[in-house]
Amino acid sequence: MIELNLILIFMILAALVAVEIKDLLSSVVAVGAVGLGLSLAFLLLKAPDLAITQLVVEILCLIILIRATIKKDLPFSTSGRWLFNTISTLIFMAIFLFFAYFAIKDLPKMGEPLIKVSKFYLERGKDLTGATNLVSSVILDFRAYDTLGEATVLFTAVIGVLAVLRKVGKIH
Amino acid sequence: MLPLFVAIPLGTAFVISLVGKFYKRLSDLLANFGCFLLLILSFFTLSTLNHKPSTILVYKIGGWIPPFGICMVLDGLTSFMLITVNLVTFLVAIYSISYMEKYTDKWKFWTLFMLMLAGMNGVIITGDMFNLFVFLEISAISSYALVAFGTEAEELEASFKYAIMGSVASSFILLGVAILYSHTSTLNMADMANVLSEKSSDLLKFVSVLFLMGFGLKAALVPFHAWLPDAHPSAPASISAMLSGIFIKVLGIYALSRIVFNVFGLTPLISSIFITLGILSMILGGFLAFGQIDIKRLYAYSSISQIGYITLSLGLGTPQGVMAGLFHLFNHSLFKSLLFLNSGAIESVTQTRDLRRMGGLMQKAPLISYTNIIGAMSISGIPPLNGFFSKLLIVLACIQAKRLDLATAAILVSILTLIYYLKATGMAFFGTAKTQNSAKKISFSMNFSLVILSILCLIGGLILIPNVSDIFLKKAVNALLNGKNYANLVFEALK
Amino acid sequence: MIYFLCLILFSIGLYCVLRKRNLIKIIIGLGIMEYAVNLFFILVGYRLEGRSPIFAKEKIILSMVDPIPQALVLTAIVIGLAVTALIVAIAIRIYERYGTFDITQIRKLKG
Repeated sequence: MIELNLILIFMILAALVAVEIKDLLSSVVAVGAVGLGLSLAFLLLKAPDLAITQLVVEILCLIILIRATIKKDLPFSTSGRWLFNTISTLIFMAIFLFFAYFAIKDLPKMGEPLIKVSKFYLERGKDLTGATNLVSSVILDFRAYDTLGEATVLFTAVIGVLAVLRKVGKIH
Repeated sequence: MLPLFVAIPLGTAFVISLVGKFYKRLSDLLANFGCFLLLILSFFTLSTLNHKPSTILVYKIGGWIPPFGICMVLDGLTSFMLITVNLVTFLVAIYSISYMEKYTDKWKFWTLFMLMLAGMNGVIITGDMFNLFVFLEISAISSYALVAFGTEAEELEASFKYAIMGSVASSFILLGVAILYSHTSTLNMADMANVLSEKSSDLLKFVSVLFLMGFGLKAALVPFHAWLPDAHPSAPASISAMLSGIFIKVLGIYALSRIVFNVFGLTPLISSIFITLGILSMILGGFLAFGQIDIKRLYAYSSISQIGYITLSLGLGTPQGVMAGLFHLFNHSLFKSLLFLNSGAIESVTQTRDLRRMGGLMQKAPLISYTNIIGAMSISGIPPLNGFFSKLLIVLACIQAKRLDLATAAILVSILTLIYYLKATGMAFFGTAKTQNSAKKISFSMNFSLVILSILCLIGGLILIPNVSDIFLKKAVNALLNGKNYANLVFEALK
Repeated sequence: MIYFLCLILFSIGLYCVLRKRNLIKIIIGLGIMEYAVNLFFILVGYRLEGRSPIFAKEKIILSMVDPIPQALVLTAIVIGLAVTALIVAIAIRIYERYGTFDITQIRKLKG
């Protein structure tokens, strides 16, 4: 799985660029590169629906973020306890990764997942629901309630954006 | 009957968003009618549970048997939380009919309000881990938008900080669900409890820490409380009442205790973490509330302190501890929402939230003053109001668990609570009026909610009578204490 | 080992949220965290020598990858988009009120 490792390293480098670079527009473009790497990784992991969805959502996110960053510039100045705070954050991250490493070792090896519930879907999904794309059968039939929740989340976000972006809030 | 708890608020939200802009009174009417229906349904669940022999009811969505489909589970704890949530929501909805006239575009408020209610109900009744996450996100996103509803500068700042912290917490929760899925290959809570009792590993400690960080941030436990003192005061008063009264409890305490007690099983490590975080929240919330001059900020810090009480008592793990914790959860919803609704009424009358500029409200607005005093006395634990009984139960539970240090801390923080509430009520209601306030009358709907909530505070202690507490509290306590037996009960009910 | 690289991506996002001063950088960090969690989910469900869980005519299917994480991640990607859109809307309004994206200047609430 050498290609997967390479794509992950590309994503990590692009993420580091997005985090550290000073110009806002360049960091948004770097996040776009991370999203593109993620889409390629989804293709390599044999999830074509996800790759398409990730590309579309990535484009929408980029448009929204670029709308927010037009004509706004980034002043950068270190002040006060910058060194102390950065070091403490890095220590926290190191501890998190350390414990995560021990937890990850207990998981099944990469590429050999425990398939218990999915075995039922793989064997009988086509007969029970009549769909050849098993991911669709999971989304629209077995776990359709989650899809209702997802549509509601989109609706909530639209109403929320309409509520936040209105001109006058309080009547004084 | 169970899907109605999610279907009614969702349907109402969709209808209000379509017609609310044109018929203003219709949206008020629809939303309140929906809340009233849900309140009646939640009392109905109590009676349904009484008739079933095994005290658990499982609804399979779409007819698929779990773990191959999603299921909704109704047990004692579920009906307890449903009654709490729907009762407070109904009263807040009546209050908001006239309070939200100050804001434009009231139909957006009602839509987001019903969506938040749908999300909370969905979190309570679900039996599936990923479904919990989806409904958590529904109510969290609507609450981010509702905190920023007035679009003033402070509200936007508070909402931004709250939204970022909330989304980070959701990412932690999703990472925890992913690790659990890889370990057990199932997403149903009952099935996961079965699988986890067969394999034991150190992975559970890491996942518990992830869930603690995620749900603890939603519940405002102490290292993760920084968003609460900014978000709760800036929101409109009815949303502050909802947030502080039920939102942090459903999304934080209920979800965490459901997962920890029923799926993982309460280990001594998790128990001691709960107790430590609870003590820290109690003490820190109490001290930080002391110097506040903004009345809503004082109430927000006091929420942190009381959530510490609930976490401490739940962390003890003994039957008395769990009962005391759940009873305090119910009481705190009642009196904290009463206090926040009251502060909204004070703000309508005096146009300020600064305690130094209020004074002498007792003559000008006696109803508000009396309800506030009842709420303040409940939260400080003065007999015979309901807060006294729940705090007494917590102290007794600590003593029975042989942790006298916790009991003394609880009593000391309770005295501290009494001191700062005395100071706040003294400054606001007694004394001479500092500024020339216009004595505006508040409308009937606001009065109605305040009076009903204070009556409930007065009689809340009666829940401890053995007959009433058997059908209401004891079922909830047993549901939590069943621990991993929850899985067996669910699979029994499926047959 | 790949899981570990994924968690490094997660912690880079977390570092960005905790330490950066510009609102847009914080939102970017949040996005990176979401990408990392979604990738972790799909890595968990991958089966070596499996193919995507789609039936095709006249082909012999030996083994397929796990379809459940793919369904879950579809939902999670959309939820991430919704949250990002709402937070960016709030950030745009903050710029109109405060005139800056610097989080140390946006401090009207204290105490």
